[in-house]
Amino acid sequence: MQRASRLKRELILLTTEPPPGITCWQNESRADDLRAQILGGEGTPYEKGIFNLEVTVPERYPFEPPKICFLTPIYHPNIDSAGRICLDVLKLPPKGAWRPSLNISTLLTSIQLLMTEPNPDDPLMADISSEYKYNKPLFLRNAKEWTEKYASQQKSASETLSEEVNQTEASTPKKSAISQKRKGSDTSIREKKSRLDS
Amino acid sequence: MRGPSPAGRGRGKRAGFERAWGEGSMAGRALLRLCPLLLRQDRRGSAYEGFVTAQGRDFHIRILLPSDFQLKNARIQCSWQLKRLLHGYRQILKQRLQHCSDLVSFMEELKTILEVALKNTEDLHTPPPPEYYSHLIRDIETLGWNKIVYVDTGLSSVKLKAEDSRGRQHLITLKLNAKYPAEPPDCFVDFPVQFAVSWIPQSSLIDIYSQFLAALESLKEFWDAMDEIDEKTWVLEPENPTRSATMRRIAIGNNVSINLEVDPRHPAMLPECFFLGADHVVNPLKIKLNNNMHLWNPEVHLLQNLKEVLEIEFPSRVVLEKSDFSMDCGICYAYRLDGTVPDQVCDDPRCGQPFHQACLYEWLQSLPSSRQSFNVIFGECPYCNKVRKYFRKRIFEQNTALEDRKISPTLFPSLSMTRKLKVGQTNFCGRFYACFSSGIEI
Repeated sequence: MQRASRLKRELILLTTEPPPGITCWQNESRADDLRAQILGGEGTPYEKGIFNLEVTVPERYPFEPPKICFLTPIYHPNIDSAGRICLDVLKLPPKGAWRPSLNISTLLTSIQLLMTEPNPDDPLMADISSEYKYNKPLFLRNAKEWTEKYASQQKSASETLSEEVNQTEASTPKKSAISQKRKGSDTSIREKKSRLDS
Repeated sequence: MRGPSPAGRGRGKRAGFERAWGEGSMAGRALLRLCPLLLRQDRRGSAYEGFVTAQGRDFHIRILLPSDFQLKNARIQCSWQLKRLLHGYRQILKQRLQHCSDLVSFMEELKTILEVALKNTEDLHTPPPPEYYSHLIRDIETLGWNKIVYVDTGLSSVKLKAEDSRGRQHLITLKLNAKYPAEPPDCFVDFPVQFAVSWIPQSSLIDIYSQFLAALESLKEFWDAMDEIDEKTWVLEPENPTRSATMRRIAIGNNVSINLEVDPRHPAMLPECFFLGADHVVNPLKIKLNNNMHLWNPEVHLLQNLKEVLEIEFPSRVVLEKSDFSMDCGICYAYRLDGTVPDQVCDDPRCGQPFHQACLYEWLQSLPSSRQSFNVIFGECPYCNKVRKYFRKRIFEQNTALEDRKISPTLFPSLSMTRKLKVGQTNFCGRFYACFSSGIEI
């Protein structure tokens, strides 16, 4: 009951006054399925990357937090290979810090902040976390590489065209293995392909 | 100028001290090396007078030790210059007196403090020479007082205004140092590019001003392009772009936007751009951009070019009426919910967030930290929970309430809400029934 009125207002706000570097929209007019994009922050290894996210709004929203996960692969101590995010505001109390005073816009901003400031003391990816802690240059290099590989929008229109043609082509086994972990596998394949085409 | 004469302290002679501080002793020699101008005044070594040297300046000082020669009870008399210098360091000096084991180490500390004090005071208190002011005033007069927007009281910071040929107002802030005009002032401008001032000792404010005007003209085209975008499109980001901002995020349609990074030196060229939004809308735009790239005409304005290449019209700004938001429920973001209006208000005046009773109850009862006692639920306001606030929720026995208070049935919530609460109520007491209305006091 509260969800409908809340989502309506939130979607209007997200359209008219989106937070800096963030877009969010309704996916094919289904009320509970939203898509979002976060721009990698300047001065972070995610710079110039566009990261796609899926926002699922539960029945009991806003009494329960929305479920948010990354569709674009990201190299980050608090985001696992399935795109799940370790962030307190995404969980209900007492473990988490979700409150109805938060909303989708503020959550996405929090995620953007988490990208800028990873929290290696509460890791989801132990390897990446220790790398972040003890070998920062290597972490930065890896994260940058992943950003260029999966989140870069330097695919131009002709590539988009050709990828539609090539869509039936099978990708290499390694690539599909990675992307199958993701719900957004199709996007990552497309992005990878376009890089090949260019 | 000397301080008052020392008060006579105890006269007990201490052989040990005498040995240690005697003329030929180690400590005596160390003191002599450190402060050659500080001399012992009596045989016992309880009074010293002379000069302490720091940064080539001598300061008159007298140190009087008490009868037990404990340094922490020593009296220190200074000349007025020294007193002024050490004014802000009294606490540190006292602390050093407490901790130093002998006079030599204290004198060493005192010298260090003095060096610091001298350095700081010179920076702070030396006013620029008179020529500085006369020079500056002459410069401003030549420039014209009408160009001045702001001058601080010390005449060290000046703000000048200028108008470019398109009538845009610009400001330049100059921070002058005491050596002006031998050294250039620091210039602060709101430019997308660096503004470097070329300066020779003969230069003046007038030179800076003309360089500023020239720079304004060179950026004219860039600001023209940006102004056109700001005026004719719906800029989502940045909110209030400064003159130095080269980035714009422009709305194209519902949840689709384009990010532009305009080169301030070549504003007519195709800017660096990318799209945000759902693939099915963004991809056709990308195709158009790619296919029509050759149509980009540097002779035409940036916005016009964008329209032609993308084959779109940019929508104009949609303004939301924000004024009514403050009345809405902080949880469901609506004013009316099943015929009820927000009637619970956080009682912290700094918060004052309104809620529907139903919304607040549903949230609080799901929290383990909330407590329910008969007719009241206590919990934290979801908005300002740092201040521990308690919300009251009226829940009372159905029969007595209905009979005693003659509640009109319209005050009750919808059936669905009642059902939900009936499930919840068994948690604390089966006999109670939840009522959601504002006007009832228990």
